[in-house]
Amino acid sequence: MNAPRTVLARRSEPVAGPVAGSTHRGARRRANRSGQLLTALAFLAPALLAIVFLRLVPAASAVVASFQESGLGGGSGWAGLENYRFLFSDPSFVNTIVVTVVFNLVLNPLTVILALGVALLLSERLPAAGLWRALVFAPVAVPVSVSGVIWSVVYQPDGLANGLLGMVGLGEQPFLTSTTQAPPAVMVTVLWVAVGYWMIFLIAGLKDIPRVYYEAAQIDGASPLQQFRHVTIPLLRRPMAFVLVANTVGNFLIFAPIQILTNGGPEGSTNLIMFDIYQLAYRLGDLSLAQTEVVLLMLVMLAVVAVQFKLLAPKE
Amino acid sequence: MRTRMPSTPGVVVRTAGAVMVSLLFLIPLLWVVASSFRPGNSAFGYTSPFTFEAFVPLGGDVSNYVALFDGYFVRAVGNSLLVAAATVVFGLVLSVFAAFALSALQFPGREAFFVVVVLSFLIPFDAIAIPMSAQFRDWGLANTYVGLILPGLANGFAIFVLRQFFLGIPRELLEAARVDGLAWWRILWQVYLPLCRPALVGAGLMLFLSQWQSYVWPLLIGSDTEHHLAPIALANLRGQLEVNFGQIFAGSVVLTLIPGLLLLTFQRHFTDSVAATGIKD
Repeated sequence: MNAPRTVLARRSEPVAGPVAGSTHRGARRRANRSGQLLTALAFLAPALLAIVFLRLVPAASAVVASFQESGLGGGSGWAGLENYRFLFSDPSFVNTIVVTVVFNLVLNPLTVILALGVALLLSERLPAAGLWRALVFAPVAVPVSVSGVIWSVVYQPDGLANGLLGMVGLGEQPFLTSTTQAPPAVMVTVLWVAVGYWMIFLIAGLKDIPRVYYEAAQIDGASPLQQFRHVTIPLLRRPMAFVLVANTVGNFLIFAPIQILTNGGPEGSTNLIMFDIYQLAYRLGDLSLAQTEVVLLMLVMLAVVAVQFKLLAPKE
Repeated sequence: MRTRMPSTPGVVVRTAGAVMVSLLFLIPLLWVVASSFRPGNSAFGYTSPFTFEAFVPLGGDVSNYVALFDGYFVRAVGNSLLVAAATVVFGLVLSVFAAFALSALQFPGREAFFVVVVLSFLIPFDAIAIPMSAQFRDWGLANTYVGLILPGLANGFAIFVLRQFFLGIPRELLEAARVDGLAWWRILWQVYLPLCRPALVGAGLMLFLSQWQSYVWPLLIGSDTEHHLAPIALANLRGQLEVNFGQIFAGSVVLTLIPGLLLLTFQRHFTDSVAATGIKD
């Protein structure tokens, strides 16, 4: 920690000197603004280096690779849009897209609705409200990959899930080996961790709604349901939009639960795009094709972030 | 709805709902903790057929935890702690510098810089992990701690939270320090940082958790067992031919307890910094 401090000090002090001596206000402000640019760049340097080498260079290399010949040799010849054409005509990639999109269309709204439901329930004044909140929040400490490991044991034929089902008289379920049960089973491992996490954001949003709005609504004779519809929901727009988008970004990248629970199966029913990319790169060794999928995924992510800015832009 | 203490039947119904919901979230954890004290695969004796003792950690021993100390798993947990701690220290330096430049300093294009910095770090790192791992291998960073740590340092969330906090510091303090002739780095060190302990803790916690949870990157870049991180080691226990489930339960408890204790200790800071991000005008 000492090294960067001294470096920065040496860079910033000569810049600061003449500025502090200046007396004329306008001149001083102008000198300030351009003079502080160098200081600012020095402070920003680590972040800018990280952006270049940890974000831009790999992103650019993925784009370049996506235009190169695919194949086991990792051919370096120019392939134009061949990789993209191949992917979209490949039934297994089309399946990956369908599975990823359907998975997100179900999981993301479900996460927000459950988080909102729990937030509404637990932000009320209840006996020991803090305790219930802490219990729902507890799984947030579980890393997502560990959640995958835990639920893989829960879903075992002799595991907790079948044990509890047996207790209420239901037969043994296949869970991860069934094409219809595997996707929801994976969603549960994600939801278990995610609901408590996003609940915190929504409780923070609920607490920011001024009480007077509810008092006014009550004076006007609004029922609790009307208050929810006309006070809570409109005023919770920003937190909900933030949660939906941030959650969507995370869920498009789900990998660990798939690798741990299902390996994309059975029959490709849980073959989400991140897992497909990993398979292409490391099982099949086709880096160009894998990077083509990375580029497509990045485009989707950029679109999601753009939507976020649209949703969160201050209302005119 | 929120102003008065609700009527008694309403409270009872809602409290019952709260109890049921929190039990639903707690049940898998209870089972994992109880089972972690049951040697070998004996935990399944309580789920098949099911008895409520499955949730009671009595009558077992700590043999699973002892067995985890055989070297591989302990080393992986140590690696994870080292990587996460280094990420907190260096990540905070990077984030504090960037946030300071983007809040206290005034220079042409500041807003544009802010958008670029935060936006590029919001682009999820996992999406470009595969092209990046190829590059890190070219740079000779595969199977090194540096290679494991570096990508976790750049955290747009941390920069964002710290900048929000810095913007709340009265400008008069800064002007006064400037008049006294304090250099910028001293203003940061002596004026800004002492006022920002909660935000620093919040940002540090975020950096720790993101690194503690990371799975894709350690899988790609730390392929030799000496550089395995804890989540990878736990998943590998699951993948063995003869699975010892007792150890998996115990390992899950260890991997959850460490961030859990941190979250418990710094809960306020965590929720405060959460409240400061993105969701307010």
